[in-house]
Amino acid sequence: MALFIRSSATTLSASYVLLGILALVLFALPLSYAWRAAVDESRLQILTEDSQRLAEVFGHRGPTGLVSFINERVGLQIAGERILLLTDSAGKELAGNLPAWPQGVTKDAGDYTRRIELDRVPTMVTMVSTELPGGYHLLVGRDNTRLAPVTTRFWYGLAAAIAVLLVSGVIGAILIRRALLSRIHSMRETVSAIMQGELSHRLPTGKSSSDELNTLSMTINRMLEQIEQLVHGVANVSNAIAHDLRTPLTELRSRLEELSLTRPPPAEAFAEVDAAVADVDRVISIFNALLRLAEIDTGMRRSGFVNVDLQDLCARAVEFYVPAAEIRDISLTFKDESGPMKACGDQLLLAQAVNNLIDNALKYTPPGGNVSVSTVRAGAEMAGIVVADSGPGMTAAQRDRATERFFRGDSSRGTPGVGLGLSLVDAVARLHGGVLEFADQQPGLRAAINFPGTK
Amino acid sequence: MKVLLVEDNERVTRFVTKGLQEAGHTADHADNGRDGLFLAASERYDVIIMDRMLPGNIDGLSLISALRQSGNQTPILVLSALADVDERIKGLRAGGDDYLTKPFAFGELLARLDALGRRTRQDGTVTTLEVADLRMDLLSRKVVRGARQILLQPREFKLLEYLMRHAGQVVTRTMLLENVWDYHFDPQTNVVDVHISKLRQKIEPEPEHSLLRTVRNAGYMLSAE
Repeated sequence: MALFIRSSATTLSASYVLLGILALVLFALPLSYAWRAAVDESRLQILTEDSQRLAEVFGHRGPTGLVSFINERVGLQIAGERILLLTDSAGKELAGNLPAWPQGVTKDAGDYTRRIELDRVPTMVTMVSTELPGGYHLLVGRDNTRLAPVTTRFWYGLAAAIAVLLVSGVIGAILIRRALLSRIHSMRETVSAIMQGELSHRLPTGKSSSDELNTLSMTINRMLEQIEQLVHGVANVSNAIAHDLRTPLTELRSRLEELSLTRPPPAEAFAEVDAAVADVDRVISIFNALLRLAEIDTGMRRSGFVNVDLQDLCARAVEFYVPAAEIRDISLTFKDESGPMKACGDQLLLAQAVNNLIDNALKYTPPGGNVSVSTVRAGAEMAGIVVADSGPGMTAAQRDRATERFFRGDSSRGTPGVGLGLSLVDAVARLHGGVLEFADQQPGLRAAINFPGTK
Repeated sequence: MKVLLVEDNERVTRFVTKGLQEAGHTADHADNGRDGLFLAASERYDVIIMDRMLPGNIDGLSLISALRQSGNQTPILVLSALADVDERIKGLRAGGDDYLTKPFAFGELLARLDALGRRTRQDGTVTTLEVADLRMDLLSRKVVRGARQILLQPREFKLLEYLMRHAGQVVTRTMLLENVWDYHFDPQTNVVDVHISKLRQKIEPEPEHSLLRTVRNAGYMLSAE
């Protein structure tokens, strides 16, 4: 029970029920007041008009005429509804349905609301007293209790409305709480599973983006994806370090060991030492690339994002590679297909990514071919950098694995490189909220970094 | 050149000191921040090599800040195992003049030291650069070799300007990448070499009068002989 009361769903619906009741009462009170005031006023008006008419009768027909008129009226009326009394100058009753001039009502002209005995029942009555010529006094009144049942019904109605509100509030609270609890329960189970190390679990989500819990679940899922990626990233890096640094280190070790065992003449020994230094340089470059990848994958560099001119960046990268392309008889060109294109990002990483793509394209394009770099725009929301070559392209299977660390296509066995270039491009694209996509353009490969929301 | 090396690793110290002596420089050494600060403040050096991580209370960067605050303007090369771009920026912001990541090739270190040591002596307001019969006018952006005018692309001009400003010194590929193209990463391929050979074709029609030499295991040097 305490849990039920503390539950946020219960608190929320209880507050809504209270608010509803408050609104209802705030609405009913002024209404009832206005209604009553209107009734009182019209009653007084009717009584005043009545008195005036009777006074006119008195003026035309004298006291006897009025007495017979009043008697006639009393005979027609339902007792208690209309109160009439005519007295002479001595205060003696001449006609009417009241036994005596009521107590508390003076003979002065005016209106009075008093509790008087009507058929021995104390009743609230509104009366208008009029002074007629010759010391005659006329009292015209009306029983107020005639409208009492309506008032009572009004209050009963209000009470019933409040009761309905209360009941529906409680039922609503129970239903909402049950619905919420079941969803939260499933979320909690998923999160518990994740905490146990099953990182692939995701919270159940629907399609609706206006449902707050759903939005929350989707946000949490995105966070989980990020975490999973990071964890895998760390695992990948340690695997990569273990596996791919071991290979060149083994080579280096055997080279040095052989050198130490065979003790070759100096010329040969120095050549071996130079080769060993080259081995170390290779280890260092792999190491640096891995660290750079890990650094990008943490997303830390996002804090240093600035506005980057992608066109300028591509143009400069092309300019940088043109001499190298010319040597291999490849035409390398920059095509501006987008107009000015800016993105919020890391200048250095984006430059490195574009350079890697160009480097890659040049590596696989045979002499006489061409490589083109272009900035493109697809609609207002998507923009990208495309590097297309006329090389052999990649098979679908190769395309899927191209961004894996240390993956190298069979055809690239003989080319220099460690197989981290495209992983880096992919990581940079993801860091900027974009994607690296490959397409076959027969012949050749079309690699595109697509960014959303580029200005 | 008189060099101060503040470095706690013995092997690195021996390697650097020996290399510097072979290159004709004198080197003093301190293996902790306090001694380093004392030496840097009491002697005059042409350049200081500063390791970032030092034993004791005072690390490389705070040492640099302390020196700069006391008005010492000796060029400082920061050595560090921290390779992040942010770390590099931190090092330069603290008052370092150049940043080199460990592990490094000695040729790279020496080339950068040369560049730093000479920077103080060079006048920033020169309008013409000359190496043998190669002349560059920085205002009209004209380059002539002897009587013949050489037409260069803007980037080639920048490359040649950098080489000429550092004439007689070894300039490494990394230095060229950083200073001419502003690329603070290793493009893995020999693109810089290609740019150099293209530039060589333009400024040296007759290979026998070569000014731009390749220095093995280090980089390039533009010099009169």
